[in-house]
Amino acid sequence: MKPSLNTYLDTVQLLKSYQGTHEANRTFALQHPELASKPQQMLLTWVSKYRFEITEPLNSKSYTQHFQAITQLSAFLFFVLGFLTGFGLLSYSGEAPVNVIYYLFIAMLLPIIGMILSIVSLLGDKNIGNFFAHFFPLYWLEKILQTLSPKYRTTLRTHVALPYTLQRWLFVERLQMLSLLFSVGLLIALLVMVVVKDIAFGWSTTLDVAPASFQSLLSTVGWIWHAWLPSAVPSIELVELSQYFRLGERLDSTMIANANRLGAWWQFLAMTTLLYAIGLRLLFWCVTRLGLQKALDRAFLHIDGIERLQRHFQTPFVTTQAPQVETHLPLTQTNEEPTVPTEKRAYPHIFGWNWTTEEMLLIHDSRQIQGKQTHEAGGSHTFSEDEAIARLAQGLVLLYVKAWEPPTMDFVDFLELLIDNPKVERIQLYPLGTPAQAYRSDPNDVEVWRRKLQGFNPAKVEIIDAT
Amino acid sequence: MQPKLYPKFAVVGHPNKGKSSIVSSLALDDSVQIANTPGTTQVKRGFPLVVDGKTIYELFDTPGFQRARRILAWLQSQEPVTADKRADLVKSFITQHRDDPRFHDEIELLEPIIEGAGIIYVVDASKPYGAEYETEMEILRYTGQPSMAILNLIGDEDYREQWKRALGHYFRLVRTFNPMTATFQDHIALLESMAQLKEEWTEDIKTAIQVLTNLHQQKIDQTIDAIVTHIQKSLTYQEIQTIATDKATKVEESRAINRYQTHLIQQEKEVEKEIETIWNHRSIDKVENLLAFDNVGLFSKESASIFGLSQKELIVTGASAGALGGLGIDALAGGSSLLLGSLIGGVVGGVGAMLGFDNLYHIKLLGQQFGRRELTIGPMQNLNFPYVLLGRALYYASLLAKRSHALRNTLHLEHETFYTQQIIDSEMRKELEKLHTKLRKGEEVSEEMSEAYRQVIMKSFQALICS
Repeated sequence: MKPSLNTYLDTVQLLKSYQGTHEANRTFALQHPELASKPQQMLLTWVSKYRFEITEPLNSKSYTQHFQAITQLSAFLFFVLGFLTGFGLLSYSGEAPVNVIYYLFIAMLLPIIGMILSIVSLLGDKNIGNFFAHFFPLYWLEKILQTLSPKYRTTLRTHVALPYTLQRWLFVERLQMLSLLFSVGLLIALLVMVVVKDIAFGWSTTLDVAPASFQSLLSTVGWIWHAWLPSAVPSIELVELSQYFRLGERLDSTMIANANRLGAWWQFLAMTTLLYAIGLRLLFWCVTRLGLQKALDRAFLHIDGIERLQRHFQTPFVTTQAPQVETHLPLTQTNEEPTVPTEKRAYPHIFGWNWTTEEMLLIHDSRQIQGKQTHEAGGSHTFSEDEAIARLAQGLVLLYVKAWEPPTMDFVDFLELLIDNPKVERIQLYPLGTPAQAYRSDPNDVEVWRRKLQGFNPAKVEIIDAT
Repeated sequence: MQPKLYPKFAVVGHPNKGKSSIVSSLALDDSVQIANTPGTTQVKRGFPLVVDGKTIYELFDTPGFQRARRILAWLQSQEPVTADKRADLVKSFITQHRDDPRFHDEIELLEPIIEGAGIIYVVDASKPYGAEYETEMEILRYTGQPSMAILNLIGDEDYREQWKRALGHYFRLVRTFNPMTATFQDHIALLESMAQLKEEWTEDIKTAIQVLTNLHQQKIDQTIDAIVTHIQKSLTYQEIQTIATDKATKVEESRAINRYQTHLIQQEKEVEKEIETIWNHRSIDKVENLLAFDNVGLFSKESASIFGLSQKELIVTGASAGALGGLGIDALAGGSSLLLGSLIGGVVGGVGAMLGFDNLYHIKLLGQQFGRRELTIGPMQNLNFPYVLLGRALYYASLLAKRSHALRNTLHLEHETFYTQQIIDSEMRKELEKLHTKLRKGEEVSEEMSEAYRQVIMKSFQALICS
C-alpha cells in the first residue's frame, strides 16, 4: 500500500482537524504490531481508520475532479494535436515530396529536447524548475484553466498547498503521459496516411549534406532495429534517390521512375516514432511515475502533524493523573461571625486545645491574661478526659487553639461539649500563632477557623482575632 | 495467573498539611483541588502512573484525620493482639464503622493502607510539633505498612529538627519535600526514597523513575519542536491580499498589516497552549504582554501577475521563448546567421512581454481577468524579531517546565523582556542567524541546518530549566 495523491490530500485535511490523542494513537500502534517496522503502512492504516473524522467535503475529491478534468481535456487535445501534426506533416500535395527532416524534427528531436528539459526542471532548484516549466504547453494550459475556473483556483490556493517537489513531479509525470499521447496521435496519423495516401518521401536541406553523411546519420538513428528490421533503415540508394532541391525539379524523372521505392521511408519513420517518441517517452513516463511515487512518499512523511503522529505511535503513553474527576468541595460564602477584637484580661476557665499547661502559662504571660483554672484538652488526652473537663466549665470560657492547625471534627466534638454545657454562658475562641510569632496568628488561618464556626450558635461562640 | 500487584502509596496526615499539593506535584496534575480550607479532599483519589495501560504504581490523595483519638481509643479497647494481627484490628474498625459518617474520612484514608499501600505521612515542618500528631502516627503504626514521613515547609519557619526527632520514632524514612518548589530532580529523589520502603517495590519504582525520566526528556524534545516550528512558521508567514488598483490604499494596507500581526499573535498563543499541554499545565492563569510590533518595519510589496507570473517572470519567459525560436532559425541557417536569430528572438519576446503586460492584464475571458494585483505583507525582515519570538517562547516554556503542578498562583510574564534579552547571547545569535537569513529569503532549509538550529535551542532551553 502506497500513498496516492488522494491519500495525501485526505491526510493533510484529516490532520488539520483531527490528530487523535497520544493514548488513542499509541493504542492503535500497539494493536498493529506487524506494522511497527513499516511507519508508512502504519500511517496509511491510521488514516484509513480515521478518515471518517473529516466532516467537511473532501478536498481530494474536488481537487481530483478538476485535476482529472484538466488531464482528460489535455489528453484529448494532445492526442488530436499529435494526429493533426502528423496529418499536416505528411500531407502530400503532389508537387513536392514530404520532407522527412521535418517529420524527424517533430517525432524524434522535439521529444528528446522535451525530455531533457523535463530532467533539467526536475534536477534544478525551484527557480530553474519554474523557468523551464514555462516552455511546456501544459503549463500554460493549466494556467489558463486555473484563471478561467475561480473555484479550482481557490481550492488550489486555500486547501491544496502541495509542496513544490510534489507539484513538479506531478507536472512532469503528466507531461510525459500527454506527450506520449501526442506521439501516439502522430504515429496513428503516419499509419493512416501511409495506408490511405500514396506519399512520396524525400529529404531536402539548405545545408551542404552529402547523401552518404545523411544515410550514416539515419543508420545511427536506426541502429537499434537495423539487425532485425533492415528494411526500416533507408539504404544509400534510397537516400540518394530521395534528395531534392527547391530550385530544381521537385519531382525529377528519376524520382517519378522510382515512385514505388520512395514510399519505403515510412517504415523508418514509423520505427523512429515508435522508438524515440513513444518507446523512450514510455520509459521516461514510467521513471517519472516512480519519481512521483517517491515524491509522494517523502511528502506524505512531511505532512504537518505526521511527525507528531509517529511520535505518538512510538512513545509509550504515560499518564500520572487520576482517572476519576474530583468532586469539588462547594465553598460556602463567608458570613460575618461575631469577632471580639481583644480578649478580656481575666477568665474563670481557660481551655487549651492541643496546648500543654506549660505552653498556656507562657501565653498568659505573653498576652497578660489571667485564668482561675486552666485545662488541657485534645493532644494526648483521651476523649473521655475531654468530656470530664468540659463539664467543669462555667460562665465565660476562653479556648486557646493553634491557629495554624485547622479545626478537626475532634475539636468540633469538644466544642459541642462546651456549647451543650448549660453552665457555660459564652465561649471565646482564641486562635494563636506560634511562640516565634509572639502568638500572633495569620489572618488566613483565622479565616479558616471563622469559616469552621459557621453554623454554631453565634450567641454562644465568638472568635478573638489576634492577627 | 494472579496479576502482579503494583506498589501503592497513600499520602496521609493532618488536614491542610499539603497532602494534595504533594500528590499534585508527584502526579504532574494541576487539576487537583488545593485550598486553604481544611477538608477540601473528601474522598480518596488514586493517581496511577500508567504506561501503555500497565500501572507501575499508584498514589492516593486522602482526606485528613478528623477523629483520630476516637479511633485509637477503639483500637486500644480491643482484646490485645500480637503485632502481626494489629492490621486486622484496623480492618475490623473499617468494617464495623463503614456506615458511620463520623469516621468517613478516616475510613477513606485507612482503606488503601489496609489494602497494601505504603504510608506517606505529611506534616508541615514550618510549624512546631505537637503531641496530637502522635495519635495519628500510632494508628498508622497499627496498620503495619511500610511508611515514610515528608516534611513539607509551608511557612517560613523551620521546625524540621524538632519534627525529625519525633517522627524518627514512627517512620523508617523522613524526607523534606516542598511541592511548591520541587524540581524534577527532587521528584526523582523522593521516588528513590519510596523505593526503599519495601524490597518488592524497588524494581517497580526504578521502572517508574526510568519512565518519568524518559517522559521528561520527551517533553523537552516536544517543546523544542514546537518552538522551532513556531519560529519557522512565523518568519515565513506572508499575508497576501488582493487589491483593486496599482497601489494599495491606506485602508487596504492597514487591514493587511493588522491581519498579519493578528496571525502572528494567534500563532504565539497556539504555541503557548501547546507547551502548556506538553507540560500538563492545563489550567494555568497568566498575565502577559501581547507580542508587540512597535518599530518592527513590516515588509510590504504590491505586485501584479498574469497567470501567476510577475512581469519580470513573464519578460524572462518571453525572451527565452523568443530566443529559442530564434535559435531554430539559426540552426536552419547552419550557423551562418551568427546567432542573430536567437538575439533578435530574445529581444522581441522580452520587449513584447514587457509592453504587452498591461494589455494582457486587462484581458477578460469567460468573465475572468487574466491579471491580478496583490499586496503582500511579510515575510518578517526585522533582524531582531525572531529573537524576540524565540526569547518569549523559551522563557515561557522554561517557566512551565520548572513550575510545580501544586502551584495555583498566577504566572506573571510582564517583565519577560528583561529575561528574554538575557536568554539569547551573541554566540547563540550567530548560530541561529544562518537559518533566519534563509527563512527571510524564502529559501529551503536543509534538514541538517534545521537540526543544528534545534540543537542550539535545546542547549539554551536545558540551561534555562536547570538554572
